[in-house]
Amino acid sequence: MTSKDNFVIAVPSKGRLQENAAAFFARAGLQLVQGRGVRDYRGTIAGMAGVEIAFLSASEIVSHLASGSVHMGVTGEDLIRENVLDADARVEILTPLGFGHANVVVAVPQAWIDVKTMADLEDVASAFRARRGARMRVATKYINLTRTYFDQMGVADYRIVESLGATEGAPAAGQAEIIVDITTTGATLAANALKVLEDGIILRSEANLVASLNAAWTDVTRETARRILSRIAAEEDARTSRQVRAFIAGPRARLIEDAAKTFAARAPFGTNADGPLTLICPKAGVPALADWLVMQGAEHVTVETLDYIFGARNPLFDKLIARLP
Amino acid sequence: MNTTPRVSEATLDERRDLLLSHLISAGYERAEPAILQPASVFLDLSGEEIRSRLFLTSDHAGHELCLRPEYTIPVCKDYLASASRGQPMGFSYLGKVFRSRPQTSGESTQAGIESFGRMDREAADAEVLTLALEAVLVAGGPKLSVTLGDPGLYSALLEALSLPAVWMRRIRRGHARGQTLARIFATSANGSSADHSGVLAALEGVDKSGALALVEDLLSIAGISTVGGRSASEIAERFLEQSALNAAAGVSVEKRQIIERFLAIQGDPDQSSAQIRALFQDAGLNLSAALDGFDARLGFMAARGLDVGAMRFNADFGRNIDYYTGFVFEAHDPNRANGRAIIGGGRYDRLMAMLGATVEIPAVGAGIWCDRLFADQNGSV
Repeated sequence: MTSKDNFVIAVPSKGRLQENAAAFFARAGLQLVQGRGVRDYRGTIAGMAGVEIAFLSASEIVSHLASGSVHMGVTGEDLIRENVLDADARVEILTPLGFGHANVVVAVPQAWIDVKTMADLEDVASAFRARRGARMRVATKYINLTRTYFDQMGVADYRIVESLGATEGAPAAGQAEIIVDITTTGATLAANALKVLEDGIILRSEANLVASLNAAWTDVTRETARRILSRIAAEEDARTSRQVRAFIAGPRARLIEDAAKTFAARAPFGTNADGPLTLICPKAGVPALADWLVMQGAEHVTVETLDYIFGARNPLFDKLIARLP
Repeated sequence: MNTTPRVSEATLDERRDLLLSHLISAGYERAEPAILQPASVFLDLSGEEIRSRLFLTSDHAGHELCLRPEYTIPVCKDYLASASRGQPMGFSYLGKVFRSRPQTSGESTQAGIESFGRMDREAADAEVLTLALEAVLVAGGPKLSVTLGDPGLYSALLEALSLPAVWMRRIRRGHARGQTLARIFATSANGSSADHSGVLAALEGVDKSGALALVEDLLSIAGISTVGGRSASEIAERFLEQSALNAAAGVSVEKRQIIERFLAIQGDPDQSSAQIRALFQDAGLNLSAALDGFDARLGFMAARGLDVGAMRFNADFGRNIDYYTGFVFEAHDPNRANGRAIIGGGRYDRLMAMLGATVEIPAVGAGIWCDRLFADQNGSV
């Protein structure tokens, strides 16, 4: 169906995740075009040949990334860590996308006022087993994350009860004593009289752009990846920084060096003495940089939002290429 | 044994047959439990760590099943479901077991015996070890070197030292996790007890009902009405335990030293027994019954023709006392320096009760790893 030079990106097929993913690509100038009508699960990127969009469910995206039948995908780190054996050898997490934030947490009944940490939980679990002859039950769909984390924290006396929906209700229903689940605000946990342990955050997850290391990486697909990633990197750079301009008389080399050191600002167009000094600075550092420029003699400092910052270097593509054979 | 000339030309299958026939002819009826087993029983007994090694599947009703990862539990279950439940019985087995491990096929051949319901424990221990060693020889295997241990003695020692319950649990858990004693005793505070210092101080010298009343008050002040999984009295008891720990600061140096000296004992089994006896006497602990059992077992082994003087005792061996309750043993090929154990086994008197037996059914068994035994011997493995 697809030639080996076809580049496939897997994108969530429904809900908020799909909207957010489409918005993310659109910001990077990559317009996702769904085939005839919303029920078509194949699409393209406007004006970009050789790219196919596969609209899939979250769990399908993960398995396609693991097997290499898609080149890139948008998915949560929780699903990667849970479902891909030896994930770091099979996929590369290229960049977080700033949406789909959620934590995978260990939560216990609020009534367990003596239990605040995983160390407490370990003690309680072993006493539970000694007293009842059965292991404490943990309801979760994150079997692998739970096992790895509990092992790391030394909790051994427990049993996993697989739960595929409404996990937070399991303790009240008597199906388990505690849970491991994903939560955004914690409100659902609180509504079910559960609390998160102090060191009970297993993973802080968000949606990520993920590359499959097992996909068909031909010269053509690599070039497609470079073009896509350069747009994404340019948009990301522009979104997270601001252009700051000021007119300051005199030599600029020293000034630029200081701005780089103190504010992580860079001068994309060099020390050229004509016209105002142009700096690119991480968003959070802009007010301090502006202040400082005024102290260096600037009459005015202007700050602008850019659409893209394209560069000869492409950090996302470099990250990918470094992992490919 | 006069079988050597024939064995040297035997095929792998014939060697396995010889091994199994020897076990059967000693009165251990062949058991052939189902390959497909309910997964929960292995997860309940061995913990979640074993999950990654199980080959899991499920039936139409959604029950989790697995390929048997070992024989002991399936053989026990079949015995408990049979009419001879509770009676002394011996079973032998030979077949595939399935454990998922990277870079392996996941299946291997295991043979072994299980002896159930015999109250003459020391004699049964000696018989099982002897039979396993003989079967290896009959099948053309090498003379193996044997290591002995006795976690039952260790349990008895910890019991006699009357450590607080929380320390007993910690020591057991620490051993299960492979921690050194120094490391186990280094953990002082219990979880986040420091944060609860007010509650703990208030509870000093308070009895159970007072503690329960305090916990119930705390819960109602916090507006928590549903208590999931653990009762308010369980929570109160844990607070009391921690309060006692804070006051008494754990295990005395003398007791620690006794435990350390015990675990350091190793060497000739008879000499080790004498050393343990001396240690217990020094410490003023009366554990002679447990040690008499140990000596009696060595006597039964010698009577069966085993060279006890050539074996090695190690008090530290089998200290992970979650599963085995008494005698444990392991046998290696002395010509393969880094080889893994070819025979392993021991006494597991608690297992039948965990599997639902309502009367006490002692059990001891030995497993023989056929693939390790026959590897490199005739090039066919």
